[in-house]
Amino acid sequence: MASDVDKRSHWETAAASSLSVDPGNDRSDSPAPALIQGMEPGASQDEAMFVHAQSYEDLTGEVEGMEPASPGLEGQIENMEEITQDFSKLSTQLSVSSSHSDEQSREAPCECGDSPPPVIQEADGELHPQDDWYQHQKHVFVLSEAGKPVYSRYRSEEALSSTAGVMMALVSFLETEKNAIRSIHADGYTVVFVRRSPLVLVSVSHTRQSEQEIAQELLYIYYQIVSLVTLTQLHHLFQQRPSYDLRRLLSGSERITDNLLDSMDTDPSFLLASVRCLPLTSGLRDAATYCLQQAKAKSLVFSILMSAQQLVTLVRKKDQYLHPIDIHLLFNLVTSSSSFREGEAWTPVCLPKFNPSGFFHTYISYLSHKPELLLLMVSTDREDFFTVSNCKKKIMERLEKRGTWTPLKEALSNSLYDVAQVGIPELRHFLYKSKSSRLFTSPAMTAPYNTEVEQKRLVSLYQYLHGRAHCSSHPLTTIYHIGPQENILAWVTEAFELYVCFSPLGTKSSAVNGVSRLLRWIRKEEEKLFILSSSTY
Amino acid sequence: MSGQRVDAKVVMLGKEAVGKTSLVERYVHHRFLQGPYQNTIGAAFVAKAINVGGRNVTLGIWDTAGSERYEAMSRIYYRGARAAIVCYDLTDCSSFERVKFWVNELQNFEEHCRIYICGTKSDLVENDKSLRQVDFHDVQDYADEIKAHLCETSSKTGISVDELFQKVAEDYVNYSDFQVQTEPKGVDLNSRKDLTSYTCCHH
Repeated sequence: MASDVDKRSHWETAAASSLSVDPGNDRSDSPAPALIQGMEPGASQDEAMFVHAQSYEDLTGEVEGMEPASPGLEGQIENMEEITQDFSKLSTQLSVSSSHSDEQSREAPCECGDSPPPVIQEADGELHPQDDWYQHQKHVFVLSEAGKPVYSRYRSEEALSSTAGVMMALVSFLETEKNAIRSIHADGYTVVFVRRSPLVLVSVSHTRQSEQEIAQELLYIYYQIVSLVTLTQLHHLFQQRPSYDLRRLLSGSERITDNLLDSMDTDPSFLLASVRCLPLTSGLRDAATYCLQQAKAKSLVFSILMSAQQLVTLVRKKDQYLHPIDIHLLFNLVTSSSSFREGEAWTPVCLPKFNPSGFFHTYISYLSHKPELLLLMVSTDREDFFTVSNCKKKIMERLEKRGTWTPLKEALSNSLYDVAQVGIPELRHFLYKSKSSRLFTSPAMTAPYNTEVEQKRLVSLYQYLHGRAHCSSHPLTTIYHIGPQENILAWVTEAFELYVCFSPLGTKSSAVNGVSRLLRWIRKEEEKLFILSSSTY
Repeated sequence: MSGQRVDAKVVMLGKEAVGKTSLVERYVHHRFLQGPYQNTIGAAFVAKAINVGGRNVTLGIWDTAGSERYEAMSRIYYRGARAAIVCYDLTDCSSFERVKFWVNELQNFEEHCRIYICGTKSDLVENDKSLRQVDFHDVQDYADEIKAHLCETSSKTGISVDELFQKVAEDYVNYSDFQVQTEPKGVDLNSRKDLTSYTCCHH
């Protein structure tokens, strides 16, 4: 540990000098960003809470380790030059301004979904879905390998049989040649295919998202379905009967999948594949964590407190790690249904990244509605409801007895922080993700992003820049995007990802300056913005 | 392992969208929520105390999801139940077919569970008789045959809802009084604390 601290401060000096921060500053408050994983603001101090994995591990291979991250230990700070170079790169090489004229012009109107309806030819005699059905920006279809519809985002599954047939024909045609179809780009549309036997997922969209990102979203939908039925059951059903109609088994779950797709348009958590952390003073968070830790039961694997899609705290069984995708699915499940609002729910949930073959039983109960505070406890024993329910009672009692409850509720009711707190005049919004902890922080979307349309537009810009930065053929580390309504600077390093939105009147140099100030602010506030230590029972 | 103190475990069963959650909602919270249908996910538990002849009985009600997806797991919810309220929609004859499935299931696995068959949404057939798809007398014959109690309720108006749960609680009291007193009901600080508080989910 001592050596860790040493490294950090050592490193900071180097980084800070490269940023030409006032050398008179105390080290502790010249918190320049670390470019090495495990050193960045928000990095966990001991071990990470979540399974560490690449964003696109699913697309590049099936093999995935469940090993936890060991942040900060690999890739030591051997060459300071590199860091210095990276910093200077940011200020001098911001040449990748995305100024494709077509993209610029598409930016504004396209997101509102009011572009003229595309005409899709269908054989006569087919059922035709309503015209406005075609106008949706992003359709998502799930089919079985036999071509049976399983899910359609905007319904009309019945009318889809011929379309489904075409999709399956495309998939199988290429497979006979031992190829796989990934996407079709035509007429402003992107058709993306993801094959996860026994399902085929297809997205038809006209957005600015990259193919990779759409594929990632389709994978989320796949995991969503697995979380409802388990992969084992899915395989079993289709092995027994390839023509099985999965809709019967999934009935009632459409709302959950719909909600997931809608959230992906407005919530950057999915894009960043990381968990949004609720800002809380460390004393209060520690107290809440302690209460969860004390209420343990043999069968419990995870206890989670969440509020408004943000993680308040998480306690896990020793050596067990949750994957951000699994926690997103859990959060989505509880927010997409009002059936958990009253009483205590006890429901089977498969966490596909943890173990796709079996169900956990999850206890879900609201501790408070206003402000929202939800307790989720994941148990391995489906008979253990009363034991787990008793844990909730203990948690509530302890929170109240220790005087944590009232300040916690107060903190939750104004949990979103204003970007003005950072004190950078042209700064409007940002996303900061610590790669090693897989947590991210972001201020409230205030004016001009206080309407749903504008929020979606901003998120789609982030998606676009994220796609550019992570493009597999031409990955970029820094992008300065000049748009008519805002300028966005994206910066992706080994240790963190940062997307910063500035007013359109700002300049590139003021943006670069703003970013380093922002990073210092995040470092200063990291105890509040992030969960720095991961707790076990 | 001291669970929530529950005297009788009651489980709600039936096809999806027949109104199991609405029935519980009406009974426990005295309200009926209009609006789009929201399916239950997994199962929800709620405890409710009820007075039977001066004695307090706590019903632990398990409101299960009707979706076929949870069928394989339904046993964990009805295991050890003292009463099962099997619901069907008076305006949907296929939902009555599901009643037979559940009754069969209960008879096979939970012989000590009393069965209450409940036709829901009676306000709909009250307003328009042509909407009724399940004949009362047919169901009555079936209920007699399997020795079940039958009622028709409306969660919207509240008709017969309290009476149904009152009946469940009364039957529980009468039935358990009738039983040999193997479990001491009084306070015995010295022994067997767990047993008294855990009657509903022994396994």
